Amino acid sequence: MGEELQSFLDKLLLRHVSLVKIDGLKAITITDQDGVILIKSVLNDVPPRMLEPAISTTFAAVSEQASKLGLKKNKSIVSLYELYQIVQFNHSPLITTLIADSNANTGVLLDLENELKDITDTIAVALSERHGISINVSG
Amino acid sequence: MLKPKNITLVLKQATTGGVKATLLLNSEGSPLAFVSDSDREARIYAAIASNIWCTFEKAGKNLMKDDGLKFLLVECEEGNVAITTVSNMLLCLVAKPDVELGILKAKTDALARHLKEPFQQVAAYTQA
Repeated sequence: MGEELQSFLDKLLLRHVSLVKIDGLKAITITDQDGVILIKSVLNDVPPRMLEPAISTTFAAVSEQASKLGLKKNKSIVSLYELYQIVQFNHSPLITTLIADSNANTGVLLDLENELKDITDTIAVALSERHGISINVSG
Repeated sequence: MLKPKNITLVLKQATTGGVKATLLLNSEGSPLAFVSDSDREARIYAAIASNIWCTFEKAGKNLMKDDGLKFLLVECEEGNVAITTVSNMLLCLVAKPDVELGILKAKTDALARHLKEPFQQVAAYTQA
């Protein structure tokens, strides 16, 4: 089962590698709520610090707060820094993080959500089957 | 000297076309001026927006070393929130989900640019 899952993840990773061709996109990671990376696809010039679990755990905490704004569940957060922009999706129970140049097209990055949602749904189902946990991934 | 009434008028100009609330707040999350349907909503937006900003700012400093946070866009099922800085304060716009994120960002940036100069003078005065 473990090998099957690994081969499945590798196939997904290859798909991600092709996505990195989007202008300015430097890294895609899919993590759990604790920041543990399940899949990543990273270009060489990304500082390793930026792939630390803190980036996902920060989002997990903030996303929960944002869901209390009275605007229902938080879907995504775009944070624009001097050099980079980080687009994070709440694909509960997983978190998808895109790291791109600050001048990359944010609209294009946000548009990747639907494609990535299919992947995270598949991973979430695979993980729940592996752990015997039922996870609702609809919506 | 700044006239607080005028600040609200400026914020009111941005609270159109699907924008539900516009707030100017300090980094502690206290609203300084706002235009919103209710005071309660404004206080909630202010507290959560400042908390989100501070968390991402800290994370940016730790992960990217002194890399300044410039803008935040929080997308929720029933609305979007844009946050940016004006001098040493935060500007926060809350919009309905049908407001395109591009126009929300453009409005936030335009308002921040408009408020930047007078607020820099106030910041300099308070720091002196």
